[in-house]
Amino acid sequence: MSAASPSGARPDAKRDAFRAGFFECLMLVPSYIPFALVCGVAAVQAGMGQLGAVALAAFAFAGSSQAVLTQFIASGAPLAIAILSGLVVNLRIMVYSAAIAPRLANSTRKERMLWAAFLVDQTFLSNEARHQRGAFTAHPLAFFLGCAAAIWPPWVITNAVGAFVGAQLPASWQLEFTIPLSFIALMIPFLQSRAHVSSALAGGAAGVLLFALPLKLGLIAACLIGACVGLLVDTLISARAARQKASER
Amino acid sequence: MSPDFWGTTEGWIAVIGLTIGTFLIRYSFIGLFAGKKLPPRFERGVQLAVPAIFAAIVIPLVVMASGRIDFATRWPYVAAALMTAVIAWWRGGTFVPVSLGMATLYGLQYLVR
Repeated sequence: MSAASPSGARPDAKRDAFRAGFFECLMLVPSYIPFALVCGVAAVQAGMGQLGAVALAAFAFAGSSQAVLTQFIASGAPLAIAILSGLVVNLRIMVYSAAIAPRLANSTRKERMLWAAFLVDQTFLSNEARHQRGAFTAHPLAFFLGCAAAIWPPWVITNAVGAFVGAQLPASWQLEFTIPLSFIALMIPFLQSRAHVSSALAGGAAGVLLFALPLKLGLIAACLIGACVGLLVDTLISARAARQKASER
Repeated sequence: MSPDFWGTTEGWIAVIGLTIGTFLIRYSFIGLFAGKKLPPRFERGVQLAVPAIFAAIVIPLVVMASGRIDFATRWPYVAAALMTAVIAWWRGGTFVPVSLGMATLYGLQYLVR
C-alpha cells in the first residue's frame, strides 16, 4: 500500500531522511577534529575562558571565523576589527543562503531559522548533493537537520576538549587532509555541466593565485570569478546552439 | 572558579558579536527571499558559484605548502585527491572515496620514507 503513495508520504519517511542525513555527515566528523581542538585552545588564550570557548563553538559554529577572531584578539587588535574580520571569513555562507532560499517557499519562519542556524560548509554541501540526486525531496529539512545532528555536537564537544584539556592529535595522522578529500567526494556529482566544470576550474585557479589575500578574501573573489565564468560558458553554449539551429534551416 | 573558566568581558563581547553577525549572514537570503522569485540569471550564478568556492578551498589544501605550489612535497596529496575523485566519480558516496584517498596518502608516504 505504501508503494502506491506519492512522493514518499510514508509516515516514517521523515525519520528516514533525518537518519540518512545523520549517517552521511557522521563520516565528515573526523576531518575537523584536529582543527576543533586548536580552536578550543585558541579561544581560551584569547581570553574567552573555557566557558566562552564552548559558547563560541556552540553558537557561532563556524571554525575558520572562530580561528580568525581569536587570532586577532590574541594579537591585540581592536575588538570591533577582530569581530568584523571573523565575519568577513563567513561571507561565503551568504552564497549558501542564496542557493537554498528559492527552495523554501512553503516553509515557516521557524524552519527558515533552523536552515540558517546550521548552515556550514559540510551541511550545505551534503544537502546540495542530496538535492542534486533528487533524494528525500519531500523532507529536505529533516535530512539537513540529521546532518546538523551529526556535525554540531561533536564540534562543540571537541572544542571543549581543546579548551579544558588542551589535547591535540598526532600530526602524523594528517586527519585534517580528509577535509579537502570529503569536499572532493561531495563535489564530484555537481560537475554535471560544462558551466559547472568551468566554474570549478576558475575557482580552483583563483584559490591558488589569490591564496595570499587576508581573511580568505580569495574565496569571495573565486566565488565571483566562478559565477562569471560559468555564466559566460552558459551564454557561449546557448549562442552556439542557436547558430547551429539557424544553419540547419 | 578561575578566570580561565569564566573569561573576560571583552572575550564575551567577541563571542556574542561573532554569533549574532554570523547568524545574520546565514539568515540573509533565506530571511529576505525565501520562496521569492529572483532573477533567473542571479539564481543560476549562485548555483555556479558553489563549485568555484569549494574548488578554491580544496585545491590550495592539496597542492600548496607554506603559501606556494609545491609538487615536490605535495605529490602524495595530489595522488590521494585524484584517487578520491576517481572513486567518487565511479561509485559515489563519501566514506569509501575518502578512506581510499587517505590509504593512498599513507601508502605513498610509507613507500618514500
